[in-house]
Amino acid sequence: MKKDRSQQTTKEHSDCMISRRKFLLYSSATVAATSVISLNLFPGTAQAKEMKAQVTAYPRIKIAQMSQLKENQPFDFQYPDKGPNSQAMIVKTGVKCGGGIGQGQDIVSFSYICTHQGGPLIGQYKVVDEHRVLGQCPFHLSTFDMRRHGIIVSGQAYESLPQVLLEVEGDDIYAVGIMGLLFGRTDNKLAG
Amino acid sequence: MTTNYYIPEDSSLLPPKDAEVITTACDYCVVACGYNVYRWPLHKPSGGIKADQNAFGINFPSYALQEWVAPAQHNVVMHEGQPYNVVIVPDKKTKAVNLNGDSSMRGGLIAQKVYNPATGTRDRLTSPLMRIGGTLQPVSWEFAIEIAAAVGRHVIDTHGENAYGVKTYSYQYIENTYAITKYALRHVNTANFSFHDTPSDVTSTPGFRDAGFDNFGPSYEDWGKADVLMLCGTDPYETKTILFTQFMMPAIQRGMKTIILNPRETAGIAYMKKHGGLHLDVNPGSDNLVLGAILRVIVENNWQDQEWIDEWVNNKWESSSGFGQGTRNTPWQWRTTWGKFQTDGYEDYKKWLLAQPEYSVKNAAKVAAIDPDKIYQAAQMLAKPNADGSRKKASIAIEKGFYWSNNTGNTNAISSLATVIGAGGRPGRVVGRLGGHQRGGQSGGKLPRNKSPEKVPGRRRRALDTDRWTYSGHTRFAHVIGTTWIQSMSGSQGLLKKFWELTSANPHQVFSYDKQEIIDTLKARADSGGMVVINQDIYLRDPIGAKFADIVFPAASWGEEDFMRANGERRLRLYQKFNDAPGDAKPDWWIISQLAKKMGYDGFDWQNSNEVAEEAARFSRGGRKDFNMVKVAAHAEGKTLHQKMREFGTNGIQGPVFYNYDTKTLHGTERLHDTELAKNKEKLKEMGLENGAQGANVLTKKLTHFNSQTGKVNLQKHPWNLFSDFHEWLSPKEEELWFSNGRINEIWQSGFDDIERRAYTAQRWPENWVEIHPEDAKKRGIESGDQVMMYSDRVAAFKDTLLGIDSQNFQFGELLKRGHIELSKAAVTAVAIVTPAVKVGVLYANMLDMRQPSNSLTARVVDNISGNYNFKMGVAKIKKIGESKYKHEYRSFSFAPRNIV
Repeated sequence: MKKDRSQQTTKEHSDCMISRRKFLLYSSATVAATSVISLNLFPGTAQAKEMKAQVTAYPRIKIAQMSQLKENQPFDFQYPDKGPNSQAMIVKTGVKCGGGIGQGQDIVSFSYICTHQGGPLIGQYKVVDEHRVLGQCPFHLSTFDMRRHGIIVSGQAYESLPQVLLEVEGDDIYAVGIMGLLFGRTDNKLAG
Repeated sequence: MTTNYYIPEDSSLLPPKDAEVITTACDYCVVACGYNVYRWPLHKPSGGIKADQNAFGINFPSYALQEWVAPAQHNVVMHEGQPYNVVIVPDKKTKAVNLNGDSSMRGGLIAQKVYNPATGTRDRLTSPLMRIGGTLQPVSWEFAIEIAAAVGRHVIDTHGENAYGVKTYSYQYIENTYAITKYALRHVNTANFSFHDTPSDVTSTPGFRDAGFDNFGPSYEDWGKADVLMLCGTDPYETKTILFTQFMMPAIQRGMKTIILNPRETAGIAYMKKHGGLHLDVNPGSDNLVLGAILRVIVENNWQDQEWIDEWVNNKWESSSGFGQGTRNTPWQWRTTWGKFQTDGYEDYKKWLLAQPEYSVKNAAKVAAIDPDKIYQAAQMLAKPNADGSRKKASIAIEKGFYWSNNTGNTNAISSLATVIGAGGRPGRVVGRLGGHQRGGQSGGKLPRNKSPEKVPGRRRRALDTDRWTYSGHTRFAHVIGTTWIQSMSGSQGLLKKFWELTSANPHQVFSYDKQEIIDTLKARADSGGMVVINQDIYLRDPIGAKFADIVFPAASWGEEDFMRANGERRLRLYQKFNDAPGDAKPDWWIISQLAKKMGYDGFDWQNSNEVAEEAARFSRGGRKDFNMVKVAAHAEGKTLHQKMREFGTNGIQGPVFYNYDTKTLHGTERLHDTELAKNKEKLKEMGLENGAQGANVLTKKLTHFNSQTGKVNLQKHPWNLFSDFHEWLSPKEEELWFSNGRINEIWQSGFDDIERRAYTAQRWPENWVEIHPEDAKKRGIESGDQVMMYSDRVAAFKDTLLGIDSQNFQFGELLKRGHIELSKAAVTAVAIVTPAVKVGVLYANMLDMRQPSNSLTARVVDNISGNYNFKMGVAKIKKIGESKYKHEYRSFSFAPRNIV
């Protein structure tokens, strides 16, 4: 299942960053638990570089149904467990998003906990023209771009907002992993 | 660990219980948040998630506002030659600045700053380099220093001190700035000297200086104590982030009102508006008129703070004692001679103000392109007395968008506004700059201004403009320290071309292995009218290092040496060494000391940075960050200055610092111009100042009064016509738009090492960008994500060094008429961001992308009076040249507006 990327151009690689999702999926298929895999980024360019990516195996949990998602109405859930800082949301944005699923690639899912100091982003989903933003965080006003893998728009956070990786099976949507570390944790999966 | 490509990690390390804890502060913006460095050997286990297993003493997962280690806050460094883990996080227990361990994105990622060849820092300079055969090649320190000194000595002896130019940062630690200025000003004694953000060694805020205001008088606490806070030319959330979130934001939530002058609406401004803030989205360069109009409304309604004015404003006789600045022979004298600013006190000022037709509300609103009602509203908010006759407490903060638009005129006007409404010297009623870089300047010498060949009308010499001097070919040896010089000055593409002519295009180039032959070649270059360039920096900068430098010295900086520095409330702290500098890199003070000794200067035998700091201490006396008494206390306790500073940890101590000989305690200064402190006998007793200064303490009037001869404020005129001809000439014609530029939160004051090297940062801001209003964009067929060309064929550049005779000689219109202004073409590309957050008719670009420098398009014309550039003033046309890769991908950049609340 692991794709041969040795011939891939930077552009192709960028295009397929719909994709960090796939990136993880390719990886997790080859390993059973936390392990380290090798990836070659920017092959064939001056920036070509072997790097290690650490990947944790996550639970596969059904979180929502396609047919029940209404445009721009976030649906809340917890992932990967019911422990601290696991609050997350899934939303059908109506616009194509990085890592989006569904026909319009417009369904994305993110942690609700700001990566700056753990502020709650619940109720902060904003629609402005073609933009979809989570924030301002009530603590220190960070905003995150939900179309671009949760990258900071403006503010203080030093990590993107963790994006929950999704899979579809019929009408069911499953959470299958997280890109990035949830605030407050040292590992997304709680020990013990 | 971060790579050039941002892929978020999903785990991080905790420091173990026995990790060493080393205090420091962030290296970047003026706020300087306190940080802890946790260090433990690579071979030792990391901390566990239970409270008794980690250095924080809390259980993980942690909760909101508790400690947490983001993956990017860990790194691996070398310490005494051995690998160590470091975790660098904001100090949750600090009692100053970043209370609760708040941090910006810049500081939050500072662990990524340290040298680790597995990361984007791999291109740190690690060895001295010499250009031989066109290529910069590693050489020994001895070899490089000997050549630099021989050529430098020759240039001074043959062409005079002013042929030796020093262009340096003003802020990168007290030890370094002291060494650099001692060398350049006291020993080389050149007038060809300027700091990174101005072409000549002059004050940044002439109006403040002449009024008697210190730039950094207030404490951070003060900014949250007003009833109404006016902010000019800055969004303090966008820059000064933690000052906003920790001090202003809570006050705004409690009801503090805000008035903001800024052509652009960013996150903080949007937040303030949501909480009743008034946004005056003025056109670039029109602030002076708007302030004049606000003042006129106040004065006409008799809303001035008469009690304050009666007690604290210089009257006719007080003003005449050298413009309130002392006897005739002062740096201010030439301004008095002109009579353009001086008033005889409030009534005289009022008369002048009401006689200036340009300050009518109608005119000001028209030029600024704002709703005239906002001017009336602002006047009411600031000065209209409450129903019971009491006054609102008003404070005023300014920064670069404001004072780099009409440097003299704007700072004069804001000083007058502050004084008329009673701001300046009481808690909750303060005036100051919010700041840019940290305050690490400590002068070890004085600019020999009388050696400057430039003279302004009247009798006074003007600090040499190093850009024009160099442009005319008079700089034969350029010593550049920690600045790009070229891109950071205005009209930079013209400057670059001249650098190329003087260096690369000169026939005398080094192709030899022989030291003497190299020296002779470089001497011949200087003698032939060319220029030799030596450059100290942490990375190789293009073009100053990469293309033009003959010798490059690798510098050691933050975390690689013990250093002292102050922040924007004069808070001094020790920034501790916690890892080895890469390769042969050395701190700038050491590089200077080696060069100075070879040049034959004495007084450079320092063994470590503490020795430099202790020598610098006595030169800080009487200054705003006077730390001499910390040294006195340290020595009394058998400690060094740095050891004593270390005890203050992340809390630090605010300068000027006083020592109470009775209680043997050190006391910082909360605010300058503290007119209420003078009445507080108890506090003065505690500080040991009850009966004036004891022992070695130096007590200056600025502690309880203003910086003028009388200790009162000079109420100044702020004539628009010193600037109006330039403003009119520059105003957009035909297809042109205003072209302004500025900072952005995520890369503010950190662009010198994060934008190209930190994956997350590079992902967010991968290249130059420009904001354009949807209306302007639509007319030009531009969409977000398009690649655009910004260009102009009328970039004005003032090119000559002059002897002014007639009082109009330095006026822009006059310079233009007499052929001292050259018009040239420039072009810069960027990625367009279409957003209503920027004003119609205004382009707003990143202030400095070293690869696509905005300053190419700004006028290289200094402020008529002060000699500073008005960096925010330019015009440009803009057109689409294609689509950037960011338009259709989702990995990097973001086109979402910053003003979503």
